Amino acid sequence: MSEEKKKTGLARAHELYSYRNRRALELKSEGRKTLGYFCCYPPLEIMTALDFVPIRILGDMDEPITVADGYLPTVMCIFYRSCFDVGMKGKYDYLDGFVGSHSCDGAERTSHIWRNYMKTPCNFFLDMPHTSSPEAVRFFKDQMNYFKETLEDFAGKKITRDRLEESISLHNKQRQLVRELFNLRKPDPPLVTGSEVLQVIIALMVIPVEEGINLLEEVLQEVKSRPNVTPKKPGRLLIWGSLIDHTAFTELIENSGFNIVVEDTAIGARPFWHDVESTEDPMHGLARHYLQEVKCPRTFAKSGRDYREDLENRFGYLKEFAKYWNVNSVYANIIRNCDIHGYEVPSIKDYFESMDLPVLVIEQDYSTAALEPLRTRFQAFAETIQ
Amino acid sequence: MEKETKPKTRKSGKTLQTAREAGYFGKKMLKKGLEAQEKGAPIGWSMVTWWQGELIARAMDVELVFPENYGAFCASVRQAEPHLERSAAEGYPGTLCGYARNCIGYAAMMADNNGKVPEGAPGGGLAKPKFLLGSGAACDARYKWFQALGRYLDAPVWTLDLPQTGTNEFFLAGNKELNISFMVSHLRKYVAFLEDLLGTKLDYDRLREMVIQTLKTLELAHQVDLLRRAKPSPMVGTDFWSVMIPHLYLPDDPEAYEFYQRVYDEVKQKVDNKIGAIPNEKYRMMFSELPPWHTLGFFDEIAERFGIAIVIESWNYHPILPIPEEELDGVTDPLELIARLSYRKWSEYNPVAEKYGVGPGFFMAAYLQYAEDYQADGLLAHPLMSCRPATYTLLHTRNTLEEKLKVPGVVIEGDIVDLRVFNEEEAISKVEAFVETMDHFRDLRKEAGMAW
Repeated sequence: MSEEKKKTGLARAHELYSYRNRRALELKSEGRKTLGYFCCYPPLEIMTALDFVPIRILGDMDEPITVADGYLPTVMCIFYRSCFDVGMKGKYDYLDGFVGSHSCDGAERTSHIWRNYMKTPCNFFLDMPHTSSPEAVRFFKDQMNYFKETLEDFAGKKITRDRLEESISLHNKQRQLVRELFNLRKPDPPLVTGSEVLQVIIALMVIPVEEGINLLEEVLQEVKSRPNVTPKKPGRLLIWGSLIDHTAFTELIENSGFNIVVEDTAIGARPFWHDVESTEDPMHGLARHYLQEVKCPRTFAKSGRDYREDLENRFGYLKEFAKYWNVNSVYANIIRNCDIHGYEVPSIKDYFESMDLPVLVIEQDYSTAALEPLRTRFQAFAETIQ
Repeated sequence: MEKETKPKTRKSGKTLQTAREAGYFGKKMLKKGLEAQEKGAPIGWSMVTWWQGELIARAMDVELVFPENYGAFCASVRQAEPHLERSAAEGYPGTLCGYARNCIGYAAMMADNNGKVPEGAPGGGLAKPKFLLGSGAACDARYKWFQALGRYLDAPVWTLDLPQTGTNEFFLAGNKELNISFMVSHLRKYVAFLEDLLGTKLDYDRLREMVIQTLKTLELAHQVDLLRRAKPSPMVGTDFWSVMIPHLYLPDDPEAYEFYQRVYDEVKQKVDNKIGAIPNEKYRMMFSELPPWHTLGFFDEIAERFGIAIVIESWNYHPILPIPEEELDGVTDPLELIARLSYRKWSEYNPVAEKYGVGPGFFMAAYLQYAEDYQADGLLAHPLMSCRPATYTLLHTRNTLEEKLKVPGVVIEGDIVDLRVFNEEEAISKVEAFVETMDHFRDLRKEAGMAW
C-alpha cells in the first residue's frame, strides 16, 4: 500500500494534491481505466457508472510553457496553453481516454487540437450550447447520450438505469460533503483555510468518487475536532472568476490579510453547489444540472428588462454567497486572455459595489514565477478593508 | 491647435473594379441604420451569425447594423483609438477583442450622449438598437460582448447557438439531424422573441423568398471562389475583403446578387485572358485569419517585392460550399432551410478533416483543401492579439499543412484594430525570409510527385 493511502484527512489531501497522478497510476496497475477531462462540464456520473476514473486535466503554474508555443498562439488562454504544454510533455500519457468540452473557447479549441497530438484509445468532444433553454437542455442531453454510448463501447458494457442513479447519488453525496466543508468557513475566523480547501478539491478530482467521499469524511472530522488553526484576518474574501489551482497563490492571498471564505470558480463552488436532481430520465437530470446549475459566465443568462435585472439574472447567486459567508471583500481573478470572465469585469464590480463590497481585479499570468508582484496589491487591498 | 499626426500607411490597392465599388454596401448598411433611426423603425445590432439570425430579423423589417464590421471600418480609417481608450477607462481588459473594445467604447460614448450617435462618430456611427443579436458560434466574445453592453444600452440581447461538434462526433449516426432539429426549435424561440418585441408577426413566405435569394447569392459567390483557382490568380485577398461584405452581411439583398454577377463577370474575364491580379505572380499564398485592416497596404507591398498573391483566405468569411440538392428536397420550412444553411458552414469541411485524420473541421481543415485546390505555396498566418478564437488553430493549421501537404507557413502577429501591435517592417522581413522556405518546399513537393 502506498504512503499516501496510509495518510488520512488533510495530510492525504495534501499528498494527492502534490502527486496528482500517483493514485491514478496505482489504479491503472489494478486494471482501472482513466479518462482525462477539461473543465467542470463533462458528466462525471457517466464515467463513474462505467467504472472509469475521471481525472481533471489541469495545467502547472510551476512549469514554464515551452512546447505549447509551437502549437498554440501566445494570445490564447494561458491556462489551456499550460494544460496542453504539460500534456505534450507527457504528464497525462497514462490516460486511456480524453473528454474535451465546449465550456469556453479555450477549452473547445484546445480539446480539438489535443486530439491531434495526444492520442488515446478513447476520446470524445462534448459540444454544449451557450444558452440554457429547454430545447438547449434537450440538445445537450442528446450529446451526452452520444458520450455515454461512446464510453459504453469503450468499456464493453452498458450503463443500467440503476447503476447511473447509484452513480448520481454518489456524486451528490460528494457534493453535499464539499458544501459541508465550505460551511466550515462560515465562522470568523474560518475553521479551515482556503489553501486547505483547494488541496481537498483538487484531490477529489484525481481519485474515484468513493475515495473522495471517504477523504471528505476524514477531513470534516479532522477539521471539526482540531483546535482552530486559522488566524483571523481583516478580509473575508470571496474569489470569483478564473480558476486557481495552486496553493502558492492562495497562500499569498491568505498571507496578505485575507481569509478566503468561498471561491466561485471552476475549482471552487461551481461543480459542487447543486445536486443533480432526480428525474424520470436520469440523462435529462444530468443535462439540466450541467447546463443550468453549474454557474459560469460561459452560459448566457437571459437578458433582464434593465441593467439591474440583468445583473441579478447573471450574478444573483453571488449575493447569497456574500451574505452566507459574511464576505467583506471580493477578488476577481482573471487568467490572462480568459474572455469569459474578462467581459464581466465592470459588471461584476458594479454588482458587488452596489452591495458596498470592494472588488480587486487582477489579470494574472498563471505562473508561480509571476505571483510575487501581486503580493503588494493584495496587501494594499487588505489595508482598505481594515 | 496642432493637428494630430498619425503614422502614414500605404493604402491598399484593390485589383478588381468591383472590389473598389464594394464599399457601397458597408455604407449602405450604416446609412439605412441611421435612416431607420430617423423614422423610428427598429434597429438591431447583430453579430455575423452565418445567416442564422439576420434573415429572420430583416424579414420582420428590422434594420441590422454590424458592430464587428464597424470595428473593421473604424480601424481602416484609423479612428478606433478613442473607442479603445474609452473601453479601457471603463475597466475592460485590453486583451479583449479589438472589435468589442471599439464597440464598447462607442456605446459608452453613446450613453454619454443620451443614447444618440456621438458627434463625429466614424462613418456616421451606429444607430441606437432596439435589440442585440449575439451568437454562440466561433467565439465567446460574440455573446459576452453584447451582454457587456447592458451597462450602456437599454436593449435586450438574444443569443443564438450554433452547434460546433467535433469531427468524429459529426459523423455519429443521427447527430447531424439532431443538430439541425435543435437549431430549428431554437430559431422558433428567436422568432417568438422578435414577434413579442416588435409586436408584429413573421411573414414566413417572405422569409422563404429571402432564404432562396441568399442561397442564390452564396452559390454565385462560391462560383467566384472556384474561378480563383486559376493561375495566375485573377483576384487577391485585398479584393476579397471588400467583396465579402455583400455575401456575408446582405446576401438576401437583390443588389448583392447583381453585384456578384458583376464580380463573377470581371473575374471570369481575367481568367479567360490569363490576367493576374498582381504582375509577375511567383508565389501563391493562403492567408488566415482576419487581416490588419489598418495596414492593408502590406499585401500590396509583398506582392510588389516578392510576387506573392493571396489566392485564398480566411475560411469563415467565404460562402458555404453548396448544399447537396437532396438535402434540401422537400424542405419548405424557412427556419429549417436557415438551419441547414448555417450548419453547413460549420460542418462543411468535416469530410476533409476525416480524410486526413485531423480536426477540427472548422477553422482548420478548409486550408488542407484550399492548398490542393489553389496550389498554394504557403500559409500566411496572422494571429490576432485581440481576436483569439480566430487564432487558436493557426499554428496547428500551419503544422498540419506542412506535415500532410508539404506546404509551409509563416506567422506574423498583429491585430484587426489595434495598429500599435502590428510592425509592418518586421512583417515584411519575415516574409522575405519565408520566400526561400517556399522555394525549398516546392522542391520537396516536386520530389514527392505532388501536383504543384
